[in-house]
Amino acid sequence: MNNSLLWRATKAVFVREVRSELRSRQALNAVALFAVCSIVAVSIGLGPLNRSAELPLIHAALVWIVLLFAAFTALARVFVVEEEQRTAAALRLAAPAHAVYLGKLLFNLVLLVALTLLVAVLAVVLLRMQVKAPTAFAVMLAAGSLGLVTGTTLIAAIIARASSRSTLFAVLSFPLLIPLLVTAVRGTALALAGAGWDRCLAPIQTLLAYAVAMFVTSLFLFATVWED
Amino acid sequence: MAERLALIAKYALGLAMAGIIYAMFLVVPQYVGLGDAGRIIIVHVPTAWVTSAAFALSAIYSIIYLRTRSPLHDASAVSAAEVGMLFCIFATVTGAIFAEVVWGTFWNWDPRETTILVLLLIYAAYFALRSSIDDGARRRRLSAVYNIFACVTMPFLLFVAPRVADSTLHPNCAFLQGSKCEGVSLDLNGAKISQLGDVVVELKAVEQVGDMTRAVVEVRMPGLTEYADLAPTMDSEGKAADRPEFPGQSFRMILIEADPQAGTARVNMQAPGTGLLSNQRTLWVFLASNVTFGLLALWIFRIRATILQVSARLQTTEAL
Repeated sequence: MNNSLLWRATKAVFVREVRSELRSRQALNAVALFAVCSIVAVSIGLGPLNRSAELPLIHAALVWIVLLFAAFTALARVFVVEEEQRTAAALRLAAPAHAVYLGKLLFNLVLLVALTLLVAVLAVVLLRMQVKAPTAFAVMLAAGSLGLVTGTTLIAAIIARASSRSTLFAVLSFPLLIPLLVTAVRGTALALAGAGWDRCLAPIQTLLAYAVAMFVTSLFLFATVWED
Repeated sequence: MAERLALIAKYALGLAMAGIIYAMFLVVPQYVGLGDAGRIIIVHVPTAWVTSAAFALSAIYSIIYLRTRSPLHDASAVSAAEVGMLFCIFATVTGAIFAEVVWGTFWNWDPRETTILVLLLIYAAYFALRSSIDDGARRRRLSAVYNIFACVTMPFLLFVAPRVADSTLHPNCAFLQGSKCEGVSLDLNGAKISQLGDVVVELKAVEQVGDMTRAVVEVRMPGLTEYADLAPTMDSEGKAADRPEFPGQSFRMILIEADPQAGTARVNMQAPGTGLLSNQRTLWVFLASNVTFGLLALWIFRIRATILQVSARLQTTEAL
């Protein structure tokens, strides 16, 4: 297929997702409230923490756990909603499979980046998280989010065709995200503790490699999932 | 004729299995520092290898299924995954028992333990996915996709996780060529805190005492339950001398490198059992055990695949 055609179809799918989201604001509301609730719950539960050598690791783990579960609630919606509203068949006719995948991936990415920003700000305010290397921290979160989205969007397409969707999404995604999670938590802890680029680069590279591997595999496999 | 051969093969396999169990308890000698607990590697290691092979086979059949779309290949993929799951549980349970006896803890997030846990989770999810899709063709297609997708994350686990936690308790440095067991480097003027397994270690001092080099390392056990200062030493030729035990555990800390001037030291944990297979009798039993467990897995796989293939064929003929 022609590249510019694919790009135009992708853009159309993405714009459609954004438009329908802005009309209902279902995902945005759910995710934003989930993030606020969980960070507040963690903050109340822990109380003020003493500064110690392990505090960055604790903060990084908390931030990523909140992000992970917020992602579980939000990222499956793009495909589940097509099945619920019975629009999947129309979408199959209207756009090529790759455009559907890329459009929805982009939408999920935008959603997750917004969520990550919110969680990071809330963590700084409510958990008194100190960020000693802000640039590395931002890059780490961005790379981690990219991996999270590429790792789960294909799973979202799979579970949309199954029963008991919401639990199944978490069950299927979690084992695939463990390497990402381990690397992201350690990397984020390094950035919070103010480590230099020489030490932050390795986790960032691993996260990006993970994202690329999952993205390429998803591209290969998506057409098979999407066919009826 | 073929039936008779199959029967003979079946009995031969049963005999071989019995022989392995006999040899495991009565032929393999006790290993210093491990006692009778060391015998479990005769079961543990082969089952772990069979697990990886079965899961790899399952992923390969999933790829073949997506190319041919024949339910028979899907049946093979499922049976390989089931065999893998069965042996994975064996490997995990025997490993946990060994860990409790020898390392003093059932579970300690050793990189290999993490990997096997993720494998268990992935294939539990694979079976959960299969049971929640009613339509046959769709179930086969989507579970094959998941199987392949999950397989792509495995390299990240195998190569990333061990790099994150630099040390493994598994006594593998001895017999897996090329595996790295380098320990962690600590620097008084830089990164003085790190992790060995799930134990946090912090370098307090590196000093010269006579012709011995001594490092003082504070260790914090998981959950911060216990703190202790350990002081492993090294003689002038770089050979580890004092190997203090971790609090409440039966593995030891060794000093691999130290430089009192620069304030750096490299320490590792040493598990009893390193070098277990240097004994000839153990080595041969171990090799025979690998072959037997491999054949056993193959036999279970063949039976299970045949059953599933017959039922898949019946379903297609009924549909017609």
